[in-house]
Amino acid sequence: MNAFKLWYHKLGSPPYFYVFAGYIQPWLWTIAIVLALLGLYGGLVLAPPDALQGDAFRIIFVHVPAAWMSLFVYGVMAVSAFIAVIWRPKMAEVLAMESAPIGAAFTLIALITGSLWGKPMWGTYWTWDARLTSELVLFFIYLGIIGLYHAFDDPRQGARAASFLAMIGAVNLPIVHYSVVWWNTLHQGTTVRYFGPSSIAPSMLWPLLLMTIAAKFYYGASLMGRSRVALLDRERGKDWVADEVRGGDVHG
Amino acid sequence: MLPVLYAIIVATLFPFALGPEHALLARIAGGVVLVTVLLAMLLALDNVFRGDLDDGALEQMLLSPQPLSVLLAARMLAYWLVTALPLLLVAPILAYMLGLQPAVQPVLLLALLLATPLLALLGIVLTALTAGTRRSGMLLSLMLLPLAVPIVIFAAGAVGAAQQGLPWIAPLAWLAAALALALVLAPLACATALRIALDT
Repeated sequence: MNAFKLWYHKLGSPPYFYVFAGYIQPWLWTIAIVLALLGLYGGLVLAPPDALQGDAFRIIFVHVPAAWMSLFVYGVMAVSAFIAVIWRPKMAEVLAMESAPIGAAFTLIALITGSLWGKPMWGTYWTWDARLTSELVLFFIYLGIIGLYHAFDDPRQGARAASFLAMIGAVNLPIVHYSVVWWNTLHQGTTVRYFGPSSIAPSMLWPLLLMTIAAKFYYGASLMGRSRVALLDRERGKDWVADEVRGGDVHG
Repeated sequence: MLPVLYAIIVATLFPFALGPEHALLARIAGGVVLVTVLLAMLLALDNVFRGDLDDGALEQMLLSPQPLSVLLAARMLAYWLVTALPLLLVAPILAYMLGLQPAVQPVLLLALLLATPLLALLGIVLTALTAGTRRSGMLLSLMLLPLAVPIVIFAAGAVGAAQQGLPWIAPLAWLAAALALALVLAPLACATALRIALDT
């Protein structure tokens, strides 16, 4: 067995993962915060106001990364959920279930910032636009997964059931999105469009990309932190947790 | 019979809430009937496995030599016959009371005929997932309704197109395709879900 495979299998063990997550978490936090500060400086200070939207466009530096992350986190969660249902490793269950609240938070941020941006641009906080509507449905799906997870007394059983729901949701999400697009074109003559991503100026693009990468690292850091707490909770009867709690944890 | 009464009462509330103006009610009649039927089916979903779980029959089904998916397919059919079929019978009456044009009635019935089995299949898979939990009524709606969005959109889309005199066959074809897929996959998914939820 080569070194990488060995490391991968070790990572499936909760005590090893706990230590590993505790080790990389500060790095992830540092990178996320530095990139976010750079991105925000570039986006809020250096980038010029948009020709049409003025300063209101600057909300995209929060909105767009959050919207992308809402789908990215669902993707990560769905893959972990798939692994959790098929092969039942503990860590995949933990990662899938701890991703769900983070994804829901990103979705909520995308919805709120989107509606704040919509007020000056479209003249209303909410419109039944295709993207807004599917984002809202995505939020509900996240809530359903979180709710199902917490409805079981046994967290492992809850995690497997909620993972299965996440898989059903993953199959259904594209259908939801395209049916909403179809519904939208059926009912509304004119749809309000975002400006195309290709037409964005470089001075606005690089802060956006930085913010996106920062959001990814934030997700990683948050996931590591949540997973460590979840592991302590789930494995509270085990010796390694007792050692970790009693023996003055060096990594956290 | 309770889902039927529920559907009638909910549909009756709409004219009270929106006023008895005929044009408005006629325009929303199709959508109101669809959503009402969906809610009434949701109401009955919670009991699909409850009785069997309490008296141990569900465990016998899990242990039986017959494939679990086949048994569950029979359970889904029974649920559709008991819950959805009476709703299908009462839906045209509700639509008529709300003032839906008579020409659109067959489209609404066809849409319901395709949408209700789909909802039953999807709903029972999700109900199976909640079988091991104590309280599941509200949770089930949180899980089912977002996933049922496409069904509502296509069914209501067909009715809306028919109301405007547009071709309405395409959304119904989508529903039929989804139903064909779900008929095959849902019993298998339901068997997996039940085994997960009951931890066997």
